[in-house]
Amino acid sequence: MHKSFSLDLLEVGEQATIRQLDSSELPSKFYEMGLLPGAVVKIKHKAPFNGPIGLQISSSNTLIAIRKSEALHIFVEK
Amino acid sequence: MKNPIIAFLGNPNVGKTSLFNRITKLHQHVGNYPGITVEKREGSVKANGKTYRIIDLPGTYTLFPTSMDEEIVYNVLADKKNPAHPDLVVVVAEPNNIKRSIVLYQQARELGVPAIFVVNMIDEVNAKGMDIDYQKLEAYLHTKVYTTDARNGKGIAQLIRAFDERPGYSPGKFEVGNAYKAALEEAKKAFPLHTEYQTWQFIAQENISFLTKEQQQTLAGIREKHQLSSNALQQAEAIERNIKIEEDLKAIILQKDNHHLHRTNKIDKVLLHPIWGYVIFFFLLFLVFQLVFILSEPIMDWIDENFSALIDYTAGVLPEGPLSDLLTQGVLAGIGGIIIFVPQIAILFLLISLMEETGYMSRVVFLMDRWLRPYGLNGKSVIPLMSGVGCAVPAIMAARNIENTKERLVTMLVTPFMTCSARLPIYVVLISLVIPNETFLGFGLQGLALNILYILGVVAALLSAAILNKIIKNQHKSFLIFELPSYKTPDWRNVGMNMWEKTSGFLFQAGKIILAMAIILWVLGNFGPNDKFSNAEEYVQQANPALSEEELNEEVASFRLEHSFLGYMGMGIEPLVRPLGYDWKMGIGLISSFAAREVFVGTMATVYSLGEEIDPDDDEERETLLSRMRSEINRNTGQPSYNLASGISLLLFYAFAMQCMSTIAIMKRETGSWKWTLIQTVMMTGIAYIVAFIAYQLLK
Repeated sequence: MHKSFSLDLLEVGEQATIRQLDSSELPSKFYEMGLLPGAVVKIKHKAPFNGPIGLQISSSNTLIAIRKSEALHIFVEK
Repeated sequence: MKNPIIAFLGNPNVGKTSLFNRITKLHQHVGNYPGITVEKREGSVKANGKTYRIIDLPGTYTLFPTSMDEEIVYNVLADKKNPAHPDLVVVVAEPNNIKRSIVLYQQARELGVPAIFVVNMIDEVNAKGMDIDYQKLEAYLHTKVYTTDARNGKGIAQLIRAFDERPGYSPGKFEVGNAYKAALEEAKKAFPLHTEYQTWQFIAQENISFLTKEQQQTLAGIREKHQLSSNALQQAEAIERNIKIEEDLKAIILQKDNHHLHRTNKIDKVLLHPIWGYVIFFFLLFLVFQLVFILSEPIMDWIDENFSALIDYTAGVLPEGPLSDLLTQGVLAGIGGIIIFVPQIAILFLLISLMEETGYMSRVVFLMDRWLRPYGLNGKSVIPLMSGVGCAVPAIMAARNIENTKERLVTMLVTPFMTCSARLPIYVVLISLVIPNETFLGFGLQGLALNILYILGVVAALLSAAILNKIIKNQHKSFLIFELPSYKTPDWRNVGMNMWEKTSGFLFQAGKIILAMAIILWVLGNFGPNDKFSNAEEYVQQANPALSEEELNEEVASFRLEHSFLGYMGMGIEPLVRPLGYDWKMGIGLISSFAAREVFVGTMATVYSLGEEIDPDDDEERETLLSRMRSEINRNTGQPSYNLASGISLLLFYAFAMQCMSTIAIMKRETGSWKWTLIQTVMMTGIAYIVAFIAYQLLK
């Protein structure tokens, strides 16, 4: 079994599956916009100096941007 | 019979507003929801033998609110007593995000609101690599599914014919998890008349504004007893619904490859590039300002000329007297002062709505968020702040793009610190008065001073944002999640509508207040409490019998102003402005520039009796004014009125003070409250006073 780590550690171009979200830290809007356990995400863009992260959600083919501070609470597995 | 209300509900970027514009055409207006400031876009359409009221609800991903806009949506749909509560909801979806739209649709139906489902942008289904089995989808949603393309009008007629459908309550797909059943049963007893899902929403949300205090307490009690947090409930619902939809839709929608996203990803490689992305953004920004200034200049000159001509003509036609003066110098000059801003506002909003329509605006947020976050602002604050260099009025209006209520408020509060174009003529006059025309390290001191004033504006905006960020409470948790929509060619209908809405909003709403203030100032400057004002000629002639006619007229105008209400007000505030190094004449300048900063130069010209008409761009006229101002002695200190200390103090005062009734008017309109408008005025003028005071006391 692979070890899960937080989403912000992924590099641009890498893909991973969301395993868990720290639900006490994130509002339900994250779930509603498709960041759900089991969703496959691919990092598309990273703004410089710890700026926002742009990711593509494979199941719905949409691009979503979140802050790095929120990506810390999303755990993924490659 | 009451006209049926049809509400459009959907995610952002699904073409909901295009659809709304298509259906209502020009029969629409923007108002406010009762008691709050979120804009309500409403229109009407005559069809099927009746008139429908159409409401374009703010775009939302869910019925659980995280912003003020989303709170409106929930209140309108869930509260049957809300005046905007619809008879039918039209849920608008886009093929790509259809799952999210289905969630929204199910939520609405389960609340007990009749709703139909529309798939918009139907022409893109193939390009997006999808195959939808509509029959199965209709069976799944228990409703007829309509397809439209708002850009070319496909399917619109069929949709309008469906406005009389009222699909009833649907028991729904959402099953409350076992962990929450006990709490739900308890809440159902407290709300026997509501649907089960409505009751669930009651437990899963805090602060539902349309419930009574007792009802809210009951709900809080239930949450506490069962140790539930509303956030956890909302997440449970999102997960449960999404798993189910994912499973159910496998048989209904076939998703292949998305060609649109390929193109979008390619463009984003450049526009979101860590270096080129910023280069392009700043170039675009530069271009926007150039266009706003270059394109609007000839129109503004034209308006200016024609208004002057109109004023001269009116003055010539009407018999001389106070009525003619009020009409020309008060009313017409006031209207002219409003209309002169229209070209800049229209062009700025044309360019901004183009950026929005194409999808570029979300990229700006992506690029800039990191740099503005430390100040409690949001990536989207860039547009208002940069526009503030032109004029704060359109800039404050541009803050509407910011969803988070607090970030939007902070942005609006600090935007007027940016050095707007109206400050420039004052800076030019004052700098040439008090800053020596010498060079320092090869830079002209005067130019350097001007640069510093611009930088001061930015610094003041950011610093005060950082402070306000600490003071103002956030009603909603601060987070950022937004969609980067695929790039599209703009829908010109939306661009046009948007431009018209913003411009007419300024013209008619803010215009009323500006006009009123202009008239008040005119009255104060043109009437006096005693005969020194009404018989000014005699007094002046007695004091200086040897004056030529031209000199006499100038002296009379100056004597009049001194003894007008405005003049007495200037002397009245003298004790207040003396610590800043000003005399009563400068006090008059300050009071009259409350109407608009640019009035300062004209008022100074009158006070120093040069006649009303002075063009600060005309070198010769400006020199005359400058030499008069240089030789002016402050009767309190015996020193020149405009020395380095008082000059710097005045410059700083103008840099920070709120002296623009157009801005005040637009703040009142945009925030919907006098409270924040007053706080802003007091904050800015207070900072101006303190800074000017310190500068004068240190330099004198």
